[in-house]
Amino acid sequence: MARPDGGVQNAQRSAGGEARAESAERTKLVSRYDSIRLSHGSGGKLTLELIEDLFVSVFSNEPLRELTDAAIVENLGGRIAFATDSHTVKPAFFPGGDIGRLAVAGTVNDLAVMGARPAYMTAAFLLEEGYDMGELERVVRSMKATADEAGVAIVAGDTKVLERGHGDGVFINTTGIGFVPDGVQLGVAHVRPGDKVLVNGTLGDHGIAVMSRREGLELGVELESDVAPLNGLIEQILQVAPAVRFMRDITRGGLAAVANEVVLRQPYGLRVFDVAVPIHDVVEQYSEMLGIDPLLAANEGKVLVIVAPEQAEAALGAMKAHPLGREAAIIGDIVRKPEGVALVETAYGTRRVLEMPIEEQLPRIC
Amino acid sequence: MTDAAGAVGAFRPETYKDPELVAQLSARIAELAAEIGRPVKLMHICGTHEHEIGRFALRDLLPESVTVLAGPGCPVCVCDNEYINMAIQLSLTPGVILCSFGDMLAVPGSIPLEGERRGDVRMSLLDARARGGDVRAVYSVFDAKRIAEQNPDKEVVFFSVGFETTVVAVAAMLKRGAPDNLSIIEANYYTPPATSLLPELDGFDIEGFMLPGHAVTITGLRVYEHLAERGIACAAGGFEPVDVMSAVVSLLEQLRDGKPTVANPYQRLVKYDGNEKAKRELDEVFELAPIRWRGIAEIPASGYWLREAYARYSAARRFAGRLDPVALRGAEHPKGCRCAEVTLGQIRPDACGVFGKLCTPDSPYGPCMVSHEGTCRAWYVYGMHKERLQVEAA
Repeated sequence: MARPDGGVQNAQRSAGGEARAESAERTKLVSRYDSIRLSHGSGGKLTLELIEDLFVSVFSNEPLRELTDAAIVENLGGRIAFATDSHTVKPAFFPGGDIGRLAVAGTVNDLAVMGARPAYMTAAFLLEEGYDMGELERVVRSMKATADEAGVAIVAGDTKVLERGHGDGVFINTTGIGFVPDGVQLGVAHVRPGDKVLVNGTLGDHGIAVMSRREGLELGVELESDVAPLNGLIEQILQVAPAVRFMRDITRGGLAAVANEVVLRQPYGLRVFDVAVPIHDVVEQYSEMLGIDPLLAANEGKVLVIVAPEQAEAALGAMKAHPLGREAAIIGDIVRKPEGVALVETAYGTRRVLEMPIEEQLPRIC
Repeated sequence: MTDAAGAVGAFRPETYKDPELVAQLSARIAELAAEIGRPVKLMHICGTHEHEIGRFALRDLLPESVTVLAGPGCPVCVCDNEYINMAIQLSLTPGVILCSFGDMLAVPGSIPLEGERRGDVRMSLLDARARGGDVRAVYSVFDAKRIAEQNPDKEVVFFSVGFETTVVAVAAMLKRGAPDNLSIIEANYYTPPATSLLPELDGFDIEGFMLPGHAVTITGLRVYEHLAERGIACAAGGFEPVDVMSAVVSLLEQLRDGKPTVANPYQRLVKYDGNEKAKRELDEVFELAPIRWRGIAEIPASGYWLREAYARYSAARRFAGRLDPVALRGAEHPKGCRCAEVTLGQIRPDACGVFGKLCTPDSPYGPCMVSHEGTCRAWYVYGMHKERLQVEAA
C-alpha cells in the first residue's frame, strides 16, 4: 500500500470535482436502486452491496478493500494529531461545493492547523430512508476528489439508515489522523504581543454563498463557497515561517469566533484593522443589504495565522504564492491591552469590541 | 442638489464611508459644540442608527459635550407582549403555521416559562416551537404568502411587527390579493406620535432628534414639524457614517443658530412629502388606531389597524374565539428589567442591574437584548459600555 504523503501533491482548488463526478461511469449500485432503503443499513446483503459497490469502489484503497473491522495503517511516526467533525448543510449542494467536499476538507483543516500532515480518514454516513442514490454517489465522488486533493485516504467507514422523517437526507462524520513533524509547537500559549494576524483570503464567502442558495436570493454575480482542504497551503507557510505561533481554520462564527477563542483568558488582546480585512465585493454588498456582519459569516477554506512579526512578511508571501492564498492579508496584531478582548479598529480610528457570535446570522427587520 | 458627500446622481456607497469626510465632519461637530458652549443631548429613534453607531464606534468621534442617545427605535422592543402572547398561543394551535421575522422569535412575552429556574423567565416563540408549535422564520410577508399558498389546508399567520417601513410591504401584498388562509397579527407601529409623547415626560432634555432615515423615506418630514414648533431640532439621518455625522452637524447648526427646523441632510432618499404611492397604499389598507408601546404607554393613533375592507385578514378577529384573553395580559417586563427606561433614553443599558449578567444576547431577559435593533444588544455586542477602548500595542 502506498503511504499517502501528507498532502503536498495537489492543493489546487477542485471546482471541477463535481463535474468529474458527473462524467464518471455510474456505479453498479445506482443503476440498481434509485434511493436508500432501510435495508441498506441493516447489516445484510444490501449493506454489503452499498459498501462494496459505492464506498469501496469510489474511495478505492487497500485497507478499505479488505473490509476488516478496523483499518490497519502504517505507523506515521512521532506525534499523532487526531480530529473528528460531523457535517450537515442545507442545501447539500451549494455554489462552489457540497457536503462531501465539506466533510473531507473540514477534518483535513482541523488537522492541518495543528501543524499535522493529514494521512488517513474515516467516514460515517447517516442516511435518511429514501435518500436519492444518485445524489449519494455524487457526494461520495466529491469526497474522493477532495481526499485526493488533500492527499489523504478514506480507509474505514460506517453507514446507518434512519427512518424517513428522522434525518435530513445525509449527515456525514469524518475522523482523521495525521502526524505532526518534530519541532512544530502551536497554541495560544505561544502567542505574544506584537505578533501579526493573517488570513489567507476573503472572509464570509461560504456563509453568504450558502445563505443565498438556501434563501433563493439573487446576488447578480455567482459567489462560490471557499470550501477547500488547506493542508497544502499550511505546509508551505510552516516551511518559510517556522515562528508561526497559532493557527485555526475559520468556520462557523467567522473571524469573530476565532479571534475570541484566541484571546479567551489570555493576557493579551487581538486587534483587527477593519480596512485590512479582505472581503469580496458581493459579500460586502449582500451583508450591507441584510444587516449581516461578514466578520461573523462562515468560511470553509480560510485559516487565521498568528506569526512572530519578523516572519509575517514571509508567511504572507507563502500564502500569496499559493492558489488558496492569493488574497491573503495581514489583518491585525496582538496587543498588550485590553487583555482578553478582540477588537476592531475602524477606518475612522475608532474602536469597537468584536464580540463572540451569538447565534446564526439572520437578516434584520428593517 | 448635493449632500455632505458631494454626491450627485448615482449612489456610490463607498463615498458615504469615506474616512476623510468623516474626519472633516467630526472636526465640524467639535467646532459647533464649542460655539454652542454647553452640553447638548440629541436622540435618534431607530435601532439601525444605534447599530451603525456601535459598529463604527462613532460616539468616539463626538466631543464630550455632545451626547447621542438611543430612543424608541426598535420595533421588536416596543411590540406589546399581548401580541407576542397571541403569536405564541396561535403557534400552539393545531393547524396553524406561525410566520415571524427571525428577530421576534426569542422575545419573551408574559406567559411564564414552566420548569425554568432562572427567575422571572417568560415564554418566547422559540420556546413555543420547542413545545411543538409550527413557527417559521421568514424574511418578508411575501414568504408568508408563499407558505400559505403551499399549505392550503393550514391557517398561516404572519406576525406583522414593524414600523412604517415594514407595514408598507404588508399593505402592498394585501392590496394585490392574499390567500384566504393567510392572516396577520397587527403589531405595526407609527413613529411620529411616539416622538410627540417624549417631550411630555418628566426630565425630558433632548434638544434634537435624528429622524429615522428609512421611516421618513415613507412618511416624509412634514409629520415631524410639530417637534420643530416646540423648539426641538430635527434632521433626517441616513445610515452610513457620513450620513450619521451629517445629521449631527445639521442638528448642532440649528441649535447654534437657535432656529430649530426639520432639515434633510439625507436628500438622496428622503423627500419632504415622503413616498406618495406608499402612503396611498398604506392608507387604503390600514387606519391609525391607539396601540400599546411596551413599557411606555398606549399612544393614540400610533398603530396600524386593518380597515374594514381588509378585516378578514386580521388574526385577532379570525381567531377571536380560540384565544385565551387572560393569558394575553401580563406584566410588561420581567422583574429587574429596565428596558422601558432604556427605550426612552432615560438610562444607559449598563445602568440596568441585569445588563451583561443575567441578561446577555445568548440568554436575553428583556426585549432590548433580544433584537438586533435593541439598544442593549447593540451596546453589549459592540462593547459600547467600554467607552473609548484604549489599546496598548507591543
